[in-house]
Parts: sequence; C-alpha cells; structure tokens
Amino acid sequence: MSAYLNTRVSLLSERLWAEEEFDRLIHLPHAEVPSALTERGLAALAQGYGGDDPLSLEARIIAQILEETRVLVRPLSGAARDFIIYWTRRFEVSNVKTLIRAKMSGERYTALIPRLIEMGPFARLDLEELMHADDVAELFRRLEQSPYADIVRHARRAFEESHDPFILDATLDRAYYEGLVRRAQPIEAEAGKPMRDLMAGLVDRINLVWLLRYRFNYHLPPAQVYYLLVGGHYHLQGEVLQRLVTQESVAAVIAALPDPLRQTLEGAQSIMAVFCQLEDRAARQARSVLHSAAHPLARAFAYLVLRERDLRGVRAVLRGRHLGLPSEAIRQALGHQACGVA
Amino acid sequence: MFRAQPLQHLTLWFLASEAPDAALLLAQHGVFNPVAAEDAALPDNPAAAYREVYLEAEARLARILEQCGMTSEVALPPDAAAPSLAELTEINDWLREVWQVCSRCWETQLRVDEERKRLTALKETYARLKRLNLDLSRLLRRDSLLDARLGQVPAANVKRLQEALALAGYVLSPFDQAEGQVFAVVAGPRREGEGIAGLLSQAGWRELPVPPELQTHPDAAREYIEAEEKRLEAAAGAHCQEREHNFAQFGTRVQETAIRLALARPLAEAAATGVRGRRHLAVFAGWVPRRSVEALQQALEARFHGRYWLVAREPRPDELDRVPSLLTYPAWLRPFLPLVRSYGVPRYGEFDPTLLFAVSYVLLFGAMFGDVGHGAVIMLLASLLHGRLNWLRVVGMTAGAASVAFGFLYGSVFGYEDLIHPLWQSPLHDPVRMLAIAVAAGVGFISLTLLINTYNLLNVGRLLDALLGGGALAGLALYLASVHGLYRLATGEGFDTANALVAVAALGLIAAHTWLESRVAVGERLLVTVIETLETGINLFANTLSFLRVAAFSLNHVALAMAIFTLAAGLSTAGHWLTVVLGNVVIIVLEGGIVAIQALRLMYYEGFSRFFSGSGVEFSPLRLAGTGRSAG
Repeated sequence: MSAYLNTRVSLLSERLWAEEEFDRLIHLPHAEVPSALTERGLAALAQGYGGDDPLSLEARIIAQILEETRVLVRPLSGAARDFIIYWTRRFEVSNVKTLIRAKMSGERYTALIPRLIEMGPFARLDLEELMHADDVAELFRRLEQSPYADIVRHARRAFEESHDPFILDATLDRAYYEGLVRRAQPIEAEAGKPMRDLMAGLVDRINLVWLLRYRFNYHLPPAQVYYLLVGGHYHLQGEVLQRLVTQESVAAVIAALPDPLRQTLEGAQSIMAVFCQLEDRAARQARSVLHSAAHPLARAFAYLVLRERDLRGVRAVLRGRHLGLPSEAIRQALGHQACGVA
Repeated sequence: MFRAQPLQHLTLWFLASEAPDAALLLAQHGVFNPVAAEDAALPDNPAAAYREVYLEAEARLARILEQCGMTSEVALPPDAAAPSLAELTEINDWLREVWQVCSRCWETQLRVDEERKRLTALKETYARLKRLNLDLSRLLRRDSLLDARLGQVPAANVKRLQEALALAGYVLSPFDQAEGQVFAVVAGPRREGEGIAGLLSQAGWRELPVPPELQTHPDAAREYIEAEEKRLEAAAGAHCQEREHNFAQFGTRVQETAIRLALARPLAEAAATGVRGRRHLAVFAGWVPRRSVEALQQALEARFHGRYWLVAREPRPDELDRVPSLLTYPAWLRPFLPLVRSYGVPRYGEFDPTLLFAVSYVLLFGAMFGDVGHGAVIMLLASLLHGRLNWLRVVGMTAGAASVAFGFLYGSVFGYEDLIHPLWQSPLHDPVRMLAIAVAAGVGFISLTLLINTYNLLNVGRLLDALLGGGALAGLALYLASVHGLYRLATGEGFDTANALVAVAALGLIAAHTWLESRVAVGERLLVTVIETLETGINLFANTLSFLRVAAFSLNHVALAMAIFTLAAGLSTAGHWLTVVLGNVVIIVLEGGIVAIQALRLMYYEGFSRFFSGSGVEFSPLRLAGTGRSAG
C-alpha cells in the first residue's frame, strides 16, 4: 500500500501549481487557457472554460478534488481510509447547511439543486429525499437518520433553542472538525509528527480565526466563543484557548499566543492578515511534508490540502478573466483567494 | 427473436393544455418510448412545472400513507382524464394540508413519547433530589443573587461546557445521568444582559421545567408525576383516536388522489426526458414500434379529433446508436436474458444473440460436464430455486438436462463409467478425438460469429467494413482458407495453392482496409496496419484453441472422478462411500461452478466480443403507475 500510495502522491504532486504558473494563466490568451488547464490535470475545468455559471466552475473544482481523493483512497483501509474520506465530508456538511437554510427560507428545491455539491462516489445523503422534507423539523429528523446524525443532533438542539442560522453553522462546523480530530488521533500515532503537524496547522488555524471572528466581529462573550472552538490536542489547547478568549483585542490575542504561532503572527493587524499568514504557514508545512520521506498518508493529506489551495487560486484567476478584470486586480484577488477568503 | 423490432420516430404536437391527456393516452398504449425533442425552435419546457408539482405531491402522498397508516391501491378507470396543472397544484395543496394534519398527529405521538421519557427521567431525578434534601424553591428563586438553573445537557458536552462556564464565573454540577443526558445544576452570580443563555443553547442545554407545586413538598412531586403519567396516557389514547379520525376523514379522498396522481404520472415521467414546446404547444418525441403506429394514430384521432399533429419517420443512420431496442422473447428463453444483459443490450438493428447464447451455453456446459448423476443433481437443486432466483432455476435445469444427455453419450453416472453403456464414447477413451471435435466446434462457432458480424455491419450500412474487415467476410475467408489448409497439412495432403492464395488475398484485403481506416502519419500507419493485420490472424486461431477447453474439461471430469475412486479404494467400506459422496459433492460444486463460468467466458470472449457491441438502450415506454418505471 505504502509504495503504491507514495508513487500516486508523487505523480499527482507534479500537478501542483507554482506561483509563476498562476501569473502565466492570468496572461495567457483565451484560446490557450483550456490546453494550459488540461496540461495541469484539469481537463474538467478546461471543458467548461468560458461558461457563465460560477456554480458550475465551483462544482467542477470540487469534482476534481473528489476524483483525486478517490484515486488516493483506493489503496487505503481502516482508520486511514476513514480519515481521508471524512476529509471530503465537509462538502457534504456544506450541502446539509444549504438544505437547512433553504428549508428555513421556504426555497423550492428546483432552485436549490444547482447549489448542492455533487459528491459522486462519496455521497452518503439522499439529497432528493431530503429536499422533499416539508419543513426544517422534518429535515432534521431525516438527517438524524443519516450518517450525519452525530453532527446534526447537536446542531438541532442548538437551533431549536436559538433559531439562529449562525449558531447552526457554527455548531455544524465545530462538530465536523471535532470528528476530524477524533479520526486523526489513531493515525497520528502511525503516521507520526508530519501528520500531527499538518493537523495542528489546520486545527490551530481554524480555532484562532474562529476565535478572532466570534470575539471581535460577532462580539460573542468569551465563554460562548470558547465553547464554539474545536477541542484538540495541538498548540492551542484548553487552557491556552481559555486565556485567549478573554483578551480584548486582536493584538492582545496574538501577544498571548504560544510560540511559534506568536512569532509567525507578529505584526499581523487584522483577522484577514492572521488568516493569510497562517494559511501560508500551513501551505509551507504541507509542501515540506509532501517533498519529504514522510508517511505516505501524511504526504497524501498534504497533497490534498495543497491541491485544494491551488484550485481555489485557479478559480480566482478564471473568474477574474471571465469578469474581464485587469491582471493586477486578478493577482490581488488571487492573494485573497489563496487565503480562502473568497 | 434475432433482432429488435423496427421502430419509427414520432413527433407529436398537442395543445399544451392537453399535454397531460396526451401523455396519459401514450402511457395507456405502452408503446411510446419518450426521448428529448431536438429542435431549437422549441425553447420551452411546458411540463417542467407539472413534473415538479407532481413529484412534490407524490412525495407528500407517500408520507401521508406511511405516517397515517393508510394504504393505497390504484385501480385506474379506463376513460379517466389526467389532471391539469391547476388541478395538480390543487391536489398538492390539499395534500400539504392533510400532511399538516397527519404530521401534527404524528408529532403529537413523538411529543408524547418524548414527554414520557423526560417524565421517567424526572421521576428518577426527583427521587435523588429528595434524598439530597435540597429545597428547589430556594435554589431557583428568581430574585436571589444566585443565578441557578436546573437542566439537562448531552453527556458529551459536559466537560467543554464546564470549562466555558468557568470563564463566565459559573459552575456546573451534575447530579444524575440517564440515556446520554446529564442532569445538572448551573449556578453563578446573577448579572444583567444575555449572560450565559447563548452558551447554554449552543451546548444543547434544556431547562428542566419545575412546576411550583413540585418545589414545595416532596410528596406533591410524586402526585404531580403520577398525574402527568395519567395525562400522557390520555394524550396517547387521543392520538390513536385522532389517527383513526384522520383515516376516516381523509381516507376516501386520499385514495382518489392516489388515482389522480397515477394519471398525472405519465406527463411527469415524460417531462424527465424532455417535453419541449413553444407558446401554447407541447411536443412529445419518441420511438414507437412500426406496427403500433397506426393503432396509436387511431387512438389519438379518437381522443383528440384532429387537435394534434403527428410526424413519423424511419430512424436516420446517424441516430441508430441512440434508437432503443424493443426485443421480445418466448417465455422459455427469458431466463437466459440476465446472462446476456450482463454483457449488454443489443443495439438497434444488431443481431440479438440471446437464442444463440442459450443453445450454445447449454451445449457447452453439457459437453464439459457430461454426467447423468451430476446433471440430475444440478436439475434437482435448480428446481428448488424460486423468487428472485427463478430465472436461474430454468438455466440450471436446462444445463442439468444437457449434462444428463451428454452423460448418456459418455456413459458416465456419478463418475462411474461401467454402470451404463455409452451411447457414443467416454471422453478418456479417445482424448485426441475429443480435442479435434472441440476445435471443429470452435471453428464452426467462430465462423458463425464472423458471419453475424458481417450481417451487423451491413445492417448499419458499413459495406466496406463488412467486405474487408478482419472481423467480417475477409476475416472469414482468411480463417476458413487457413483452417482448411492446415487440416490438409495435418492429414498429409499438404497446404494447397488455392487455400494459400485465398488466405494471402484475404490478408492483403484486411491490411488494405486497416491502412485506409488509419488516419495517422505514414510511419505510424504502417506500424498500425502490420500489427493489426497480424493480430487479426493470431486472434482467430488463439480463439479457436480456446475451445480446446471444452474437451479438456470433459476429460478433467472423468479424471477427477477416477482420482476420487482411487482414494476411496484404499479405505474401509464406510470411508469408501464417504469419500465417494464427498468427492461427488466437490465435483458438482467446484467443477460445476468452474464449468459454468468457463462456458460463460467462451460465450462472452470468443463469441460476443466478435459481433455484439452491447451498447444498445432498452425500449422503455411510458406506462401507467404500477406497470412501468419510476418517475423519479
């Protein structure tokens, strides 16, 4: 399995984009864009190039990610397989959120279909059946019979008490990432430090950015912010998070961070800057794992993280070109997209 | 039986308002396979809204039937009309109202169940609180400086909630646990503002309602709980009555609605494929058996009195691969269909190999597994299959019968070769003859497949391929000339000039054809031509040799039985018979299974792969509910 997965990851990693390739894509003549995309293993995006539908572009990008994940999952079994498959579940959690919001607003299901992500072989929800639920309560009941019962149960209780979509999303996200941390634990023991570093980069980034947003954008009380964060065993653990949520400004939070996070974020003035710097740090870390002799699973996970980042960049360039934006504006947007702030 | 029935493409124009009735009539006749109408001048999709409302109504009806314990038996009146969009919308709205009533009834049941659970938990909780001797009225006072709450929270959230509450100066003190829920007191300094409400709701905290009478005296708590139990029992009884009432109130109309929806289903189903339109016109396109067109037209005339337009045409050559195949079979042949369908569906106009498959498969199985006793056992076991395996019963019994017939020819009964006299010969008696016959059968079979492929190519107008293709007439000429030449060589007569000339000429034609078909650079074209021509020749002979396995398995069958008898001969009487019985079981299960697969392999790879594309689409007409496909 190891040799096969290693080879697969090495072959796929050739498809990753260097910074200058994004520049090239920005400046390419229109006619050459499809062949450039095909050369980088993005034939599906090349086929739809020039279309008007941003949802279709998004769907094709996710389909590409799922297809590559399917290839990587093939030789895996047990906890490792479970973990990588669970990593794709965030797209389906996004479908769950879309469905719930649509039911709350009484949206018709024909209008909803284009916004749902096609999960292909990873699908575990019967979306058509869920779409026909008459109201939110019935939708929740159906979801609680689905493989997402654990994630949804907590969200339903929170939602019943507050009827606040924000609370709903936050609870769903938290439950999803706690599930990811739980699934990562057994394989961190096997795949070692590189895997743990990748997970730490991911979970710490999520926790810190959520903490800053909930505290200083949504002005939630510290106790509630703490509760909404993902419980983990990485750099930002219980006591550290408890200390951080009581800080009164972004700068104070950064100053209270443990090293090396504090050093990384020194000088960051805004939540966006914090996000971008952490995202860059995580990407550097993933690249170093990918090009090392780390456990194949860690390399596969690093590849998936980097590939998704790349595809977000490609999406930014294609959208920019479609809207006829000047190159500099696309370059600027690319910086934000690469940070996932689209 | 050897090819799909001839179809005609029909384009039917109706008034959009009559589209539901048109679809219903087409479904009643069950001969119209809808396809998308390809016409840029028809931009509208007049049945899209109809389908959407239908699907919603159908889903609601299913839920009502399921949740309210109703059943629906749809018997459609022959002269009924399909509902219009307005009527369908009305039905859908009515179903929504019914569902609201039914779901209320259902919700009541859920609430009663939930309250029962909570009451049970409350009973236990209060029993413990009583033992703690805690005065709840003082604990829960709203005007005290202490903000105390009594409630329950999922056990998984307790630790995190405790840590979060500590940040707000609160403590959480659990005092009971039941069914994954922790019962706890949350207490802290009372403050103005939102406080910890957001946090508690986030954690799924649910306040335990503590009625004032329960806060005064412990005995009153027990009385309250007993009264609650009685109330819930009464509520559950009322729910049953409500359900029966619903059934009585809505039952008849629900049945009528089920019929109306069944009548609406054809248009909804046709819309899935694509009913196109423009302004007040709706257009259905589809395939109809040629022999049914006239009858359908008469029915349309009788129903719509000229308010329709029908255009019928033969399939165009460029769409032959998309035309569905309407294939009919006699009942005795149908059980073999799954084995052919697992390879594919014959394309329209293509030779249907089902009969050839059935005959060849059974003969091959019998020849490879010829034994009266084993064949009889297979027949007996197959006769026990039923239900979803019914098709396998016929296949198994036929194969078993062939095995019995060949058993008589070979003179073999459960491996014993001395119980009956062979009508022909035992395979081991003259193995070379067996092998020669197998090769001869292979030559016959492959020649037949080449002829069938030629027929298929001619059928789709590929005359050059049919004449010069390696898998068609030129290939057949090469094959037969070479086989005849080799036969003469083997019998000492020498490879004669006539055969050599025919074989070389055929090879030349195949090469020329490959050269013409190839559209690449000259060097690559030469390489492709040489390799493909050689491959054609090699494949034909390699496939022929594959048929040696027919003889090999018949020999193997005898040899395996001999091995068992040799083993049994060295044992005592009991051991002898035990070995013979177990050995025969192994032969039937193991060898029988292998032979069944080998026969299938021969059919698929040496037969089907030569002439059967399997890329056809089955004819799937619009039908009324319960007799056709799902509208989903």
